[in-house]
Amino acid sequence: MSRYAVLVVQPLVALGLAPGLVGFVRWLKARLQSRRGAPPWQPYFEIRKLFGKEAVVSHTASWIFRATPFVVFGTSVVVASLVPLILVPASPLVAGDVFAAVYLLLLGTFFLALAGLDTGSPFGGMGASREMTVVALTEPTVALSIVALALSAGSTNFSQIVARTIAEPAAALGPGHLLAFIALFVVTLAETGRLPVDNPSTHLELTMIHEAMVLEYSGPYLALIEWGSALKLLVFLALAANLFIPWGLAFALAPGALAIGLASAIVKLGALAATIAVLETRVAKLRLFRVPELLSASFVLALLAVMSTFLVR
Amino acid sequence: MGGAFSQLVMLGSSGMLVTALIVLWRKGVPAYITAYRWQSWLLAALTATVGYYGDGQLYWVAGLLLGLKGVAIPALLRTMQRRFGTEREAAPYVNTEVSLLIASVLVVFAYLLGRPWMAVTQLPTRQGLPLAMSVLFVSLFIIVSRKKAITQVIGFLMLENAIALLAVVGTFGVPFLVEFGVFLDALMGFLVMQIFIYHIHDTFDTLDVDALARLRH
Repeated sequence: MSRYAVLVVQPLVALGLAPGLVGFVRWLKARLQSRRGAPPWQPYFEIRKLFGKEAVVSHTASWIFRATPFVVFGTSVVVASLVPLILVPASPLVAGDVFAAVYLLLLGTFFLALAGLDTGSPFGGMGASREMTVVALTEPTVALSIVALALSAGSTNFSQIVARTIAEPAAALGPGHLLAFIALFVVTLAETGRLPVDNPSTHLELTMIHEAMVLEYSGPYLALIEWGSALKLLVFLALAANLFIPWGLAFALAPGALAIGLASAIVKLGALAATIAVLETRVAKLRLFRVPELLSASFVLALLAVMSTFLVR
Repeated sequence: MGGAFSQLVMLGSSGMLVTALIVLWRKGVPAYITAYRWQSWLLAALTATVGYYGDGQLYWVAGLLLGLKGVAIPALLRTMQRRFGTEREAAPYVNTEVSLLIASVLVVFAYLLGRPWMAVTQLPTRQGLPLAMSVLFVSLFIIVSRKKAITQVIGFLMLENAIALLAVVGTFGVPFLVEFGVFLDALMGFLVMQIFIYHIHDTFDTLDVDALARLRH
């Protein structure tokens, strides 16, 4: 029973929370920079407004351009049903481990890059090539930090990783756990287009990555992409939060446990979002040529995490 | 004892390794000095932890570490750095990405080297041993791969920290007197190097050790 509930309840909750999360980061950032800022619920209005507008599509665009928003949104929703956000089913689903979740999200990124190239606009191509560079560099880090987690749990399944961490709280203090968390957090910043790698709040043509790819979209398409990206941020943060600090997650479909799960998820996501906001206020965007340095540093951290769990047994 | 203790030791040692990696990653001497200070604080905390579970004498060592390596030497480094201005580490012999990757290879090597050792010992701190070796190798790599004398000195100080860490996790700390002697040695070494660096800077107007290969006239 609970495994089907996961499929229905979690994506709905995630869809509801995602724009609020993005809005919260923006609002907190504005407050930290002594601006008043738009209220945290502003993204909801934006998405509703975009859904009411007409979509303009370039003549040269092929079906890929039209299909991409659905792929981006669809993969994000599917992943939101896989990751432990508020509920971990006791009997795990057949499909859906960490690898599936991460690579489904990458599928969305891949299509976004294709769509950027599709219309033939110079910005789209530029953004797509940059995005592919960044993704290619984050790839080994993602795989390694997953392996670090999976090695200590003996499985790549979400429920087993979570169950293992709850069973052995001392392991959560171990370097394998912490270093993998830091590595995954850096990857999250890179993959979701946050500050040291990409600036999410400008359309400055020389520096943008994500915004350059979605520049041609308008109306409902743009709404889907914005919502999908917000969902991607939420999913990555939920992965980082709940795989490493799983306490508070619901294990059964009881209303009380679900309420605690939801509350703890909101608290954890809020804390991580606040971290992002503080970070984005403190650091400047890296030059594109220095991004590989950051990503190779996170790669080394992930490698250390694997080392300390693998070679020490 | 047991689980939490060895986790804490492992955490502290990994932290020290990360601070050594920061030197490879960042550019600019102030960041290096901060990394060194963090490393010394971590070493002091680790020594105190081992002292809590083992020999109480280690508290003295930890206090001494904190005072000398955590406060005094970083302050001296800062005065040194202020005197030379914010000269950047222009171009190390190996660029940042490659040196990080080399560092990761060194860490793997240290783990492989530590394997038979760890199979023999039954110490609860044995998981810190390969990490201490890694810090040792990485700081050696810092010394050979950076061009500026001040960075090399920081690499040397980190090497000293690594040896102290090895002593703490490998033997639960050596006798206080020996430790004290090693401290004084390190301090003397540092002061001598400081004088050297001042002279290098006065003579060559730079801290780039490549300049030493050229003849002065």
